Amino acid sequence: MNDLFIIVKKELTELLRDKKTIINSIVLPTLLVPILIFGSIKVTEMIQKSQQEKTIKIGLVNAPKEFLDMVSKDTLNQITTYNKVEDFKALIADETIQSAIVFPQDWNTKMDSLTASEVQIFRNGTKDNVNSRVSSLIEIYSAQLKEQRIAKLQIPTDKLTPIVENYIEVGEQKELFGKRIGGFIPYLFILTMWGGCLLAAVDLVTGEKERKTIETTLSLPISKFKVLLGKTIVASLLGFIPALLNLVGLILGLKFIPGIPESLNLAINEMLSFQSITLILLLLIPFSLFLSGLIIALVAGATSFKEAQSKASPIIMLIIIPLVLALMPGIELTWSTVLVPVLNIGLGVKEIMAGTIDMVQYAVILVSLIAFAIGAVYFSYKKFSDENAILK
Amino acid sequence: MIHIENLTKSFTSTTKKGFKKETITVNAVNEISFDCKPGRIFSLLGPNGAGKTTTLRMIAGIINPTSGTAIVDGIDISKGNDEVKKRIGFLTGSTGLYERLNPDETIEFFGKLYKIPAEKLNDRKEYLFEKLGINEFRKKRVGQMSTGMKQKVSIARTLIHDPEVLIFDEPTSGLDVITAESIIDLIRESKENNKTVIFSSHIMSEVDLLCDDLAIINKGAIIYNSTFENFKAEMKAKNLTQEFINRVKEA
Repeated sequence: MNDLFIIVKKELTELLRDKKTIINSIVLPTLLVPILIFGSIKVTEMIQKSQQEKTIKIGLVNAPKEFLDMVSKDTLNQITTYNKVEDFKALIADETIQSAIVFPQDWNTKMDSLTASEVQIFRNGTKDNVNSRVSSLIEIYSAQLKEQRIAKLQIPTDKLTPIVENYIEVGEQKELFGKRIGGFIPYLFILTMWGGCLLAAVDLVTGEKERKTIETTLSLPISKFKVLLGKTIVASLLGFIPALLNLVGLILGLKFIPGIPESLNLAINEMLSFQSITLILLLLIPFSLFLSGLIIALVAGATSFKEAQSKASPIIMLIIIPLVLALMPGIELTWSTVLVPVLNIGLGVKEIMAGTIDMVQYAVILVSLIAFAIGAVYFSYKKFSDENAILK
Repeated sequence: MIHIENLTKSFTSTTKKGFKKETITVNAVNEISFDCKPGRIFSLLGPNGAGKTTTLRMIAGIINPTSGTAIVDGIDISKGNDEVKKRIGFLTGSTGLYERLNPDETIEFFGKLYKIPAEKLNDRKEYLFEKLGINEFRKKRVGQMSTGMKQKVSIARTLIHDPEVLIFDEPTSGLDVITAESIIDLIRESKENNKTVIFSSHIMSEVDLLCDDLAIINKGAIIYNSTFENFKAEMKAKNLTQEFINRVKEA
């Protein structure tokens, strides 16, 4: 045990003296989530503001007076009135106007006789801001006309609204948000964990070969298993710590970054309770050992960083695919999915955050992850003991 | 004391030819035998790829022999790999140092794994640092050191546990004459302390200076094994280098 501790201490000291490791495993994971939250809020605000302040050029044909008044009231609308239908496709393409609204010549007659009439709207489907603003003008005008007709016909409003919908939410906010956004959380953890484990495992095995120290390590009077176990523990720590810092970053980000809707903030705070964080972190411990063992086994025969990364990188697909599956509607934590690594974490975290995790299923996930971790460590030990691979 | 008998190491490699796999087994070391005695320096010489490093790695317990026996300080390497490692100081061109540790940390790390009591470890470390002139750069990271500084630290880590058997493969390679001299001194001192020393070098003047017994290995087999005195007496060429070349070519 003491030998193992000495190996772990030495490997950690070495790794933590590497700037690349500090940046990738500590600085980036802590700052990533706050930057993502802060960045997305600010960018959304900026885009919304700039879109709202943009002038849009509208062409009108036969527009009734009330509609013309309504459109001109907003100084950001630049109106061009046409007497007849022009080649609006060309005018929109050369940006003379951005949208055209064509009312029929008999519009007023149709309105007076309380019948429906068609309004043509020429638009480019890719210009979301212009289209939504034009649609909203039409909707407001349509609502005004409807009100006028109801008044004219003297129909009570409740006669036109037979159903008054009243939804009563029985699910907790926590469950609602947990099921919806809980699936994204493992993305952060697992991908950061993967990055940390990969970097550390490659440095600890292939890096030792490149720096010509693997033979020095193997000349020590301790078993190869202890050396390997020490390296696996350190690689998994360097995967686990960034995942933990991700979580810290998420909590700090939600606490200190302004602009997050209060209801969302409350629900997320409830989801990230001490109990749910503990349950999530407990799953991540064997998973980080599993990842580290697997990566070490794959890179044991590599002689350069480049070769090691090309050998280990395809594993990322085995991580992303189950995570995507975990996000899909209809895929739930069942007795058949509890044993699938990564997918079980994705689904498990979703259930934990929603507060609906079945503790028996949770225990099975944990045990299965421990079994996978033991298997991966044994596999890596076999590879690490292969003289042809390790002394290549 | 090292006793080597019929030691063999085979390496198997698989090559793919289309859909066929071809397995080739090569004997890097083929049934070699020799003895290294305490208080004497044994030189193992051979051209590149002759099987020297493989032999030394087997003796040091880093790789396992395919067949044969190697007894190091009374312990059969097939029975007590880690026990053998405790009794050996192993230094070759491929036993580098951890670049992000400094000499102090490096020696502490090795000393602790060799289970040297704290006080003894400290005394031994100070003695070696003084002897090898490491004190002035003891807090400098290995990665920032010159080749000579690194080699001094490597020698210190090889000797920290005062092993009974020492294996030096090209210990002065790439060093200036002053640093090389201090290392030669330490090897001599180990001999005086009745240690068993295996010394391998391509620098024949160093072999001439240190060697007591000699073996020449070529293509995995021992082609000469006797005392250095006998070797010199049997010499037909004018100098050691030429004699070595002639022997390898004749074999």
